Amino acid sequence: MGTTRSRVRRTGTAAIAALSTLAMVAACGSGGGDAAADGPVTLTMTVWGGDVDKKSYQERIDLFEASQDEISIKLQLIPGDKYEQKVQTMIAGGDGPDIMQVAEGVNVYSSKKQIIPLDDLAADAGLDLEERFGPVGTLYSYDGSVYAVPDRSGAMIVYYNKDMFDAAGVEYPSADWTWEDAQTAMEQLTVPGEQWGYAGAGWWAQWWSFAYQNGGRIIDEDGLPAANSPEVVEALQWANDLTHVHHVAPTAAEYADMGPDMGGDPAFAAQKVAMNTTGFWAINSLLEADFEWDIAPLWQGGEQAVSAFGSGLAISRDSKHAEQAFEAIDFLTDAEAQAVIIKNAQDVPANLEVQASEEFLKPAWATREVNMGAFGESSAFVFTSPLIPEWNQMQAAFDDSLSTFWNEGGDAKTQLDAVQQKLEAVIKPAR
Amino acid sequence: MAVDLGEALGTVRATRSHRAGGRRVPRQKLTRRRKVEARWFWLFISPWLIGFVGFLLGPMVASVYISLTEWDSFTPPTFVGGDNYVRALTEDPVFWQALRNTFFYALVSVPVGLVIGVWLANLLNKQVRGRKLFRTMIYLPTLVPMVATAMVFKMVLAPSGPLNDLLGLVGITGPNWLLDPTWVKPALVVLSAWGAGGATVLLLSAMNGVPKEFYEAAEIDGAGPVRQFWSITFPQITPIIFFNLIMGLIGAFQVFGQVYILTKPVGGPDNASMMMVPLLFREAFSFYQFGYASAIAWLLFVVIIAFTIVAFRTSRRWVFYETEVR
Repeated sequence: MGTTRSRVRRTGTAAIAALSTLAMVAACGSGGGDAAADGPVTLTMTVWGGDVDKKSYQERIDLFEASQDEISIKLQLIPGDKYEQKVQTMIAGGDGPDIMQVAEGVNVYSSKKQIIPLDDLAADAGLDLEERFGPVGTLYSYDGSVYAVPDRSGAMIVYYNKDMFDAAGVEYPSADWTWEDAQTAMEQLTVPGEQWGYAGAGWWAQWWSFAYQNGGRIIDEDGLPAANSPEVVEALQWANDLTHVHHVAPTAAEYADMGPDMGGDPAFAAQKVAMNTTGFWAINSLLEADFEWDIAPLWQGGEQAVSAFGSGLAISRDSKHAEQAFEAIDFLTDAEAQAVIIKNAQDVPANLEVQASEEFLKPAWATREVNMGAFGESSAFVFTSPLIPEWNQMQAAFDDSLSTFWNEGGDAKTQLDAVQQKLEAVIKPAR
Repeated sequence: MAVDLGEALGTVRATRSHRAGGRRVPRQKLTRRRKVEARWFWLFISPWLIGFVGFLLGPMVASVYISLTEWDSFTPPTFVGGDNYVRALTEDPVFWQALRNTFFYALVSVPVGLVIGVWLANLLNKQVRGRKLFRTMIYLPTLVPMVATAMVFKMVLAPSGPLNDLLGLVGITGPNWLLDPTWVKPALVVLSAWGAGGATVLLLSAMNGVPKEFYEAAEIDGAGPVRQFWSITFPQITPIIFFNLIMGLIGAFQVFGQVYILTKPVGGPDNASMMMVPLLFREAFSFYQFGYASAIAWLLFVVIIAFTIVAFRTSRRWVFYETEVR
């Protein structure tokens, strides 16, 4: 009897000991510094990217710190492929960053109240988002509130190989082109098995642009999926037929034969395709290219529409200094700090004033004439991507049903019906 | 904090050493010497014990609980009972597809790997010139980082790549391996066979351990090389084959890296190469459904344990241990 009781008690102690070990581990996890409410504060800011990004963000932070002496910012750069997981872990541990960079995944956070609405802070600071950023100003919204201030935002643009256009005697692309004009040019620029007129539109940013040009919507005004509407079907079929019916864009097999991880961007740089639709980032690698190229706004369908890539700055619910964080965001997205983005050839600044500035239109680093005005021109018809909280599931639904379709061709309606079914199971409208 | 740790260790040690006494046997008083020894034992085992409890057992128990909840990692989990398991087994077609794909991969790649491994080991076991060189070459693929291997395989498996060129020589039109839903799984098997040399090294050392007298006796009895292999070499190395089988099965069911790097989108095209671990990774870190992902993890655990048990049960019939008397 005596031994049994003592065993029970001992087991109990062991359990407590084990628990205290766990508690200790937990205590180590949440060792964030809580600065006093008054006096100088230090904010943490998380961003993703590489060396150029680190340099640019730091330079902008330096400008901000020089402009006042109450707030300083500690920059934390996380490699892109680990960013979501890392920030997620920080937030789950109750130690989210004060300022965090967000993009398409913004509403994963906002729908779960992990970042705070910024409307009141913006109103208090007298910041008019529409005025500063145009239609992109309210891109990062959920349920009628803005959750992130746009920071970088560049429309998708058309890169074209001037040498190929001249050789084929085709006029350079412009925003006035219709689908027919584009397709005719692609056909004229294609040399079977050797050179293709277009890099293809298999990426959502590309074929969704055509869907929106055609009057289609992936998610309708009520927040419900509309992926198999006739407009979307027609656009997807056209985009895919360019590859598999008209053969003016390389097939997946042809890309795979060019090398590992081959796609539109490297194929354009390797002079395999005459036109490629992508974002600002390709400019950097093309500056040294030994052929003539330029950029233009995307052509149009029934209406003008183009996707944009970018990111915004949000404030996490863990921040104890939301006001100061917003002050910092306000400064970082204002003209002076945004000019750094273009000075370092990092990206397109979201600030319209900077997009129209001489520094942007004739950047110091441009070793050749580049039609930078294409970005400003496109800004007027950028469509608002449906940044729903289930963004990743939505992308997976498209990937899961469209890969064979993109690889081998097929009927857009059948595939989009399957996608629609999956989306209906996944997406719950916000309102 | 340091005090906590010390106390925790002390208590765990004390508790365990007392309990080590056993239940039925009347407890014997430990001699002083044995007490000291026991204390040293717990001291030296403690790094593993703490690691096991804190980093393996703790998370495992936690994941059982998480698998019974709906949890996005931000907001508190809500308890949903067995819903996640029901969803995986009855509602989610991708789960079944991933399970089928994983079965296919495990049940093809493991035997293929073993056959190639045994064959290579048997070749290397002969007294040939440059044996050491061949041995190194065969083990080398195991040392190349998987990412690098996968990049090379992307080129090898390209529609007009070297592999299809080779097939073309014998009049076969090769498929678009990684782009074709029917051929993407065999392509992954090909990649796994590339690493078969890892097993070869173990098998070779087992073959070297087979007493030469057996072969001499067999030769005198007139047994040819084939008969010698099946009657002597093979039975003698079955424990190592068995070890490789179990490890291979566990590894194959948990395949992740190959799929993650080789296929685009991951598990594509159209989920034809979606395996269990990439699926649970996607559910957890891309869709923020940690409860569901944990349920998938536990279902995978059940599958692996079932296969391991089956392998152990049948092993009595074909695995031969020298020390064992039958």
